[in-house]
Amino acid sequence: MNEFSNTLKVTASALRAQAMRLRHTAENISNADTPGYRRKTVPFESMTGSGDGVDLVKTGRVRLDGGRLPRIHDPAHPMADANGHYQGSNVNLMLEIADAREAQRSYEANLKMFDQARQMSASLMDLLRK
Amino acid sequence: MDIQSLSAAQSYASARPATKPNPAPEGAGLGGAFQDFASTLRQSEALSESAMTGQADPHALVQALAQTELAVETAVTVRNKVVEAYQEILRMPV
Repeated sequence: MNEFSNTLKVTASALRAQAMRLRHTAENISNADTPGYRRKTVPFESMTGSGDGVDLVKTGRVRLDGGRLPRIHDPAHPMADANGHYQGSNVNLMLEIADAREAQRSYEANLKMFDQARQMSASLMDLLRK
Repeated sequence: MDIQSLSAAQSYASARPATKPNPAPEGAGLGGAFQDFASTLRQSEALSESAMTGQADPHALVQALAQTELAVETAVTVRNKVVEAYQEILRMPV
């Protein structure tokens, strides 16, 4: 495998990781109003797999945010306790939007790298074609 | 004159083994490169098949297709160069 192939491989793994991150952000936003839902975060880990010294990136195990769940006063809610409170989710929509935007920017950067590697290999072959 | 032809024959005999074909070429060489090429093609074919049936993710598909594009482009360019060189030899006045 030459270096261009390795670049494509690394970039594809990063694209996959960012897509996974966006998926978890989407889950958080969808469940922002779910009672008792804890925000999910996903860590990135580098993966030195096939022994050729190429550091791929992969997503690790999903972690749940241990932050305090807010107590919401709504006596009409079916899950409300004796005092009329129930536990909401600890999703902060502002944080999630920022996270989604960051995932998008990283995705774009990796797409650019993918395109760059392709263009470089194409120009290299153009030298032979003349 | 006799000595001259004798020494010419001797030097020819001593230089002759240099043009002998090597029975076992060292390393993978061109054969290995072609095998690599074929395996890249096969891999991307299998991946696109599974992506069409919804089993592989699009990132893997795009990666495999770009990889294949790179390999095919390299192979075609090298082949064109080889054919060009061969035609150049054919056109040589003998």
